[in-house]
Formats: sequence, C-alpha cells, structure tokens
Amino acid sequence: MSREQDEVIPVGRVVATELKPSTPHQFYFWTARQSPVGIGAIVRVATVERLVYGVVTDGYAYSDLMTPLDDVIGADGDPAAVDAHPTERAEIRLYAAAVLRQEPAEPLQPVPIGDVFLATDIDVIAALRMDAYTEGERATKLPVGVYHAAGLRAPVFLDADFLLGPEAAHLNISGVSGLATKTSAVEFLLTSIFQTFPAHKGSVAAVCFNVKGPDLCFLDQPGELSAEDLELYAKLDLEAECFQSVRYFAPYKADGVNLNTLRTNRALSGNTEPLVWGLREVLDFAEVLLNRDDIDAKADAFIDFLADRVVGKEYVDTTLRQEPFRVQTFADLNDFFRAIFDYAEALGRGEVWRTHHLATIRKVRNRLSNISTRSKGLVTDDGVVNDLPWGEFQDRSVLCIDVAGLDPLAQDLVFARVVSKLREHLERRDLGVDHIIVFVDELNKYAPADGPDTYVRRMLLDLSERGRYLGLALFSAQQFRSQVHRRVVGNAGTSIFGRMDMDELATPGYSTVTPATKSKLATMPKGELMVRHPHFTQPIFVRFPRPAVMTGRDGIERFPPEQDLSLAEAVRRQLQALDRHLSAADLAGLIEGRRDVDVRRAVHATRQARPENVLAFFRSCLGRAVPLEVAPPQRGIPAVKRSSDPYAP
Amino acid sequence: MPPNRTAVRVRRGQSTLLRRALAERGLSPATWLPEASEGRVVEATIQPARLIEDAELRTHAVGSAQAWPGKVAFLDGIQRYHIVGYLGSTPLVEARVAAAVRVRRDRRLTTAGLEQERLMLGRPDVLRAVEDLLEDARPVVLPDDEPGHPVVDLEAARRAIDRERGALELRVGDAYRQQDEGWLVVDGSLAESPQWAAAARMIGVSKSHATLPFAGRDQVVYLEMPYGNRSSVFAPKSHAVAPVYSWALRLWPWEGRDLFHGLIRVETAPTREALDAADQIGRWLLAERAPISTPDPRWDRLLYGIHDVEVYLKSRMV
Repeated sequence: MSREQDEVIPVGRVVATELKPSTPHQFYFWTARQSPVGIGAIVRVATVERLVYGVVTDGYAYSDLMTPLDDVIGADGDPAAVDAHPTERAEIRLYAAAVLRQEPAEPLQPVPIGDVFLATDIDVIAALRMDAYTEGERATKLPVGVYHAAGLRAPVFLDADFLLGPEAAHLNISGVSGLATKTSAVEFLLTSIFQTFPAHKGSVAAVCFNVKGPDLCFLDQPGELSAEDLELYAKLDLEAECFQSVRYFAPYKADGVNLNTLRTNRALSGNTEPLVWGLREVLDFAEVLLNRDDIDAKADAFIDFLADRVVGKEYVDTTLRQEPFRVQTFADLNDFFRAIFDYAEALGRGEVWRTHHLATIRKVRNRLSNISTRSKGLVTDDGVVNDLPWGEFQDRSVLCIDVAGLDPLAQDLVFARVVSKLREHLERRDLGVDHIIVFVDELNKYAPADGPDTYVRRMLLDLSERGRYLGLALFSAQQFRSQVHRRVVGNAGTSIFGRMDMDELATPGYSTVTPATKSKLATMPKGELMVRHPHFTQPIFVRFPRPAVMTGRDGIERFPPEQDLSLAEAVRRQLQALDRHLSAADLAGLIEGRRDVDVRRAVHATRQARPENVLAFFRSCLGRAVPLEVAPPQRGIPAVKRSSDPYAP
Repeated sequence: MPPNRTAVRVRRGQSTLLRRALAERGLSPATWLPEASEGRVVEATIQPARLIEDAELRTHAVGSAQAWPGKVAFLDGIQRYHIVGYLGSTPLVEARVAAAVRVRRDRRLTTAGLEQERLMLGRPDVLRAVEDLLEDARPVVLPDDEPGHPVVDLEAARRAIDRERGALELRVGDAYRQQDEGWLVVDGSLAESPQWAAAARMIGVSKSHATLPFAGRDQVVYLEMPYGNRSSVFAPKSHAVAPVYSWALRLWPWEGRDLFHGLIRVETAPTREALDAADQIGRWLLAERAPISTPDPRWDRLLYGIHDVEVYLKSRMV
C-alpha cells in the first residue's frame, strides 16, 4: 500500500470502555494485525468536531480466550496442535496512545471515538507543535533527526530558543556506553546547529571537553558515511561535512614539552595547542583544588588577600623586604611566603602576620604549592601561559579541550575555570560570540546526585539554572541519568535518550515511561534516540545520521599519536613549526647546557609571541648562558685531635 | 468479493426516543427484557426418528479429527427484543434480528454476508397508533383474534421474531449460496428450507437436544455415546418442510460431566453420498471443536466458527 493510500485509509479506530476510557491525554485504538503501527508511531484521530494527534506508547494483544486452561483443553495439552486448529482465534491489536495535541485546544476534552490514521509529514509538524517555530522569517528550527514509522520519514526540529536559550536551554543525553550514541548525537547536533542556527539569533560556538580517549579528537577530519546516512542528511537538508573551524587545547605532560593528548600526530599539529596556566589563572579557582576542610573562612580570606593584593601586582611591605614583591609565578609566590615566615621567625614572637594566622598561611602555602605538582603540565611554575582565545571566539567554531589525560582534580580545575571564564565574558558580551555551547561527557562525575558538594557541582547547578539568560547552553552526557544531580538534568530543556540499561530504567526517574517504551529504549539500535523537548508533549523517537567526522577509533588508526619527544627534539619541532628554516644544529647549540626549565620557558614564550625572527627571540628568552661553576672545596676546620684526656686543650 | 451487508444501522438511543414519543402519544412506556430474548425457545419433546443406517441404533467411531479441506463458511443469526410500551394493556415489542455468514480462509474468518432488521411487533391497533414513529422498523402484526393478554401477546411476538430471524437466516444463507457453493455450516436445522435440506454441501449443527429422536434403550445409547463417536444415521420426524438425514456426534468426553456435554446433532441432505460421508464429516467437525468457544457456557457444543458469527453479530447489534 502506498503512502498516499495510507493517508486516507484509517489504520485503526478509537475504542473507549469503562475500564479503558479515553481521556484528554490518552486514548486507545485497535488496528488490523498486519498494521504497521508500532511503539513511537504518531497517529491522528479525525472526527468532525476534533482533531487529535497522539503517539503510541504501549501495545496490547489478546484473543477471546478466557483462561490459558481453555487453550490447553482445546489443544489436548499439545502446544503443537494449536497450529492445526482449523480456525485462528479472534485476536486484537490494541494500542495506547498519549495525546500530543488537540485541535481545538479548548475546551480540552477526552479524545472522541473516531478513525485513526497514520501521521503524514504535515501531521508530524502539527503533532509536535513544530509549526510554531519552523515557519516564517524568524524561524528557529534546528534539525535533530528523522521521525520514521510505517514508511514515513519526516524531519523533526528542535526550537533554538528552547535549546540555546533564552526560553529554555541545555541538553542532556543518557545512554549506555560503547554504542557511540551520546558523543555521536552531540557531534551531529552541533553540525546541525552550526549549519542551521538562524542568523537573527546571532553567532554560536562550542567548547567541548574531551574527557576520555580519542572521542572528540578528530572533529576536523571527515568521517565515512553510509548511503543511508547521506539520505538522512539530505532529508534534514544538512551538509554531511566535518567541522571547519576547530582548535584543540591540551595540557603538557609532566615533562613540559609533550602534549597530553592522543592528537599528537604531526599532521594535526596545526590546530593543536598547549593549554598552560600560571598562578593568576589558578588562584581564582583555588577552591576547586582545595578540599572542604581546607577552605575555612580564614584560608578563604587569605587566598582573597593574595588574589586582590599580591598576585599580579606590586606588593610593598618593607617589614618583609625592601624591594616590592612582584608575584607572577608559583616560584614568586613561594618567595613571598618564605619572606613572611622569615619575618615571623626573626621577630621571634607572635603567630599572626597582618591579621592572618601563620598556621593559616602555612596551610594555604602548602595547598597552593601543591597545585603545580598535582596539575603538572597544566599549571606552570614559570608564568608563561597559553589560554583559550578569550574575547576572540569565532562564529561556528569548536574549541576542544582535551583533559582525558589529566588528573581528575586538574580536570575539575580546567572545567571550572573555562566555564567561569565563559560566563564572565558572556556577561560582559565580549566573548566574541553570542551563544556558547559547552559539551561535557560523564556529567555524573562533575555533578553527582550523591557525594560531596563540590565547587564544580555548585557551578554546574548555577549554570543549569541561569546559563540560558547568558547564552550559555550546557550539553551534557552520562550513562546513568539517575546518578546526576536532579536539578542539573531537570533544568535541561531537552533530553535525549539512547539505548538504556534496564536497571537504570527501573529507577524512579523513568516512572512516567511506559513498559513498552522502556523495552524499546533497552533495545534501541545505534542511530536512534528518544527526544524530549519542551514543544513535544511526549517523547519522540527519531533516527539521526552518523556525524560526518572521523571517529576516535578511525582517527587513532589514521593519525597515530607520536612517540614522546626528547626536550631537544620537542624544541626543534615546535620552533621549526614557527620557522621551518631553523636548523637542528643551531637549536641544539643554543640549548646545550641550559636548564630544562629555562628551555621550556623560552620555547613557550616564543610560541606565544610568534616573532618574526624566531631564533633571535628564542635566544633572548634563554638569556645569557651562565656556565656551570664548580665550587672549589672549602678548606675545612681541622679535626679535633683526640686524646684520652678529656680536659686536654 | 465484498460482503453483502445491509445498510440498516441501529441508531444509539433509538429506543429511548421511541419511548418518549410513546409517552407523548398517550401510551405507557415500558422497559422489559423478556427471558431468553436473544434465542429461540424450544419445548422439550421426544419425536421418534427412523433409522437410515444400521438395524438398531449404535455408535461409530469416526476416527481422528481432520481439518476441513478448503474454505468453509458458518451461518448464524441472533435476535433481541424488548417491550417498549403498552397501549392500554397491549404490548408494543421492538425487536432486532440479524444474520451473517463468515467464511474461513487460511484459518481466518471474514464476513461474507450480513443482514439485520429492526421490527416493531404488536396488535394492529397498537401498530396503527405508532405508525408514524416506526422509522426504519418494519411492522409485524400480531394476531388479535383472541382477547388481549400481555403475556400471550409477548409469546406471539416471540414466535414471530423466531420466524423473522429464521427467514433472515435463509435470505443471508441463500445469498451466500448464490455466490459460493462451498461448505456452509448452519447453526441449527437445515429442515427450515427445502433447498438447504437438499444441498450437498450444507450441514446443520444443533446444540439443543430439547427434541430427542429416541426413547428407552436407544435414548441411553444415544446420550451415552463416547467421545469421537457418532450415532447411526437417522431421519428425524421433523415438523418442518424438508426431510434431512441426521446423526449425533460427541465432541468431548461426557463422563463426569453431563450426558449432553459435547453432544451435537448434525443434519445433512438425505442422500446416499451424505450417508457415506458421515464419518468424514464427523472427523471434520471433531477438528472444529478447537479452538474452544469459551467464555460461552455452551462451548462444549458450540463450534468456534458459529461462536465467531455470534460475536460478530452481537458487536454489530449494540
């Protein structure tokens, strides 16, 4: 039967009994046994006075058999004999459908008895209330996938106002790991947003945190797509292409020269940069790195003192030393602390320096000086930083921060600082774009339902509740939604569900999902999702194409990570990237005998400055070579001549 | 081929509207559903039959159940009636009769013919009084040669409705037979129609044993017949218009239950071929005992095909 025939021939009929009555939000209908209706199908009930759209949420089948025993008796106890019965029992296919929309909306009444039709393209638009935002000059539609049922494939759109603000915002994805659904869905959705975000809504960019493996490491590389994927792209009117503007940021490894990422292949080095922060960048977020016991009011006050008066400023205290303190690095900070302790010791009395107790100062010093150790590679002692391009974010660009190799605490620091900075810039409207999407996987780690009340969790709560006003949308993903703080997932205007674990579906958060829908969720194939969106009265199943970017696994095979380089080799690679005429011999001569820390600082400074004359700049950064001096052994005090007389001179 | 369905459809609340109209007309509206209003009432009697097969009545094992070859159709009818009002003490009865043929192909039953009719029964004076209220109902005049008695009139109405239902079944069955000469299983007797009684591929199946063909020792043999057996073929002493051959068949073991449990009486054309085919037909009918027709209390004798027609007709006659 063709679609045209489907559209005019009813596939079912509404039935309402005392036990299964129609309500304004639910109705039942029966179909022929061979009907293509299934769970998730959108149907239309048409009567003279009312038009009702619904989505099938459950299905039932039963025969006129009163008890199973009757079947046993009829078959003489032989199950095989049932097939030999001359007549098949009368059997019903009964479906429960949840109402998506009623026309007219008022007065809201129970669904009338009437014929049931499969939804057409136009019906899908009306049923999901997409007509409110998919038409007109100021349409705000964003393709999310294709509704597919009974031979119909109809595009489904999200409302940009409800995905990226200001009406609602945020997206949360749940699904079991290993099916590439969560990351793929976000990658596809970002593609969709970048290609269709309406001009009147302004500019948009994305910041992605790669928290595990190579998942997001090849967003700028094209991936392989099947014919079916291409068909879906065409149906959604999207180009199947990878992201055009992507910058990668990754901290160094502990050696300070090799990037801590799987994206170290030379072919990808053009847009892969180190992420290096100094004292100034870290101090504001010291709270992230300190545990609950550390951040009492006294420690907090002293950290504020350091941030406001000391770090990055010229601090004068002649009681400590005559020349002013210029604390720019962790090393400078250590000198500052040393001066305080020396002063206190010299004074020989008192436990307080400028109203701060020495014990508090010691505690803060211990914690802060540990940061550069615990976050080695991300936090530098020497002050040369390389940060995200704050204020210069490009429209339709992706900034991917690879924190997969970082210590969890350092991951928290990166996350907290980046999101806070994004927020600051958005508040000042000087980020460079109007909307920013922050994608973070493993949300259960950052905003767990249970566990300590961390800085990151508080920040995520605040972001989920107020981010939409700023234009900051959180796209988050996790395996188990029930393990994420409910205010964070609850504030996500749009929720997407991939294949789910049955144990997870048994948790109270899914109590409104029918058993049939749960069953479908538990067996959902790759590329299919259930979407909840403020405009959709009920969750809708959609199919989406694979993202047109290289998968992590393919990327690793195509662009295998480089072996870790020696310092000399790393210097050569990094500086030759700035000036390919530099000779290895010249560079080797320059760094010969230099301290590693000085070489690293000079390389970072050169990379950051990108000078005309790379070699000269690098040499100047290194400074004058100071040959190592070997201290001559000092003449010692002659040993005391021992004798048996203890009183002898 | 599209099923032959009449356009008569019962409007909801039609009886209620009729009662209001009767009240306005000066009649006394009433709501009374007589007992057995959905089926025929048959008086219990013994009408000795003539044996066609065997010198004395005996039983024959028909063999294992066998599926009916090819398609087979089932015919049944239903009736419903109730008193809607009185003119004085004379009742006005509203009735609905329907009959359908459902044909089985590939183990599934579909409707091949359907007719239903609304009747209004009463003495002539009652029908005259409501003549303009009948709408789609066909008036059926009850005799008025006796003094009026509501119970007598109701009994007369019941008999008339029985006849109307039988006539409707005949019409529907004949219409089907004109389209198709395949096997047709009729609920009840074939002896209502000479054509049916003579038809080679028609079978009547009676569940009721109010009229027994034997008395004494033969009656015991007849009623204690074991499962999977049939009786000798006999010719019932029918009061109807056409002779038939008949025999009883035990579909389910009766031991521990009731003598009539699983006992049906089969009618065929009074021909040599039908006599020879008795065992074969018995095997086919044995196969028809499943699926069983629960929750109908007569499931032990009610063939599923006939049950299906009944359910279909009831669903149409809401």
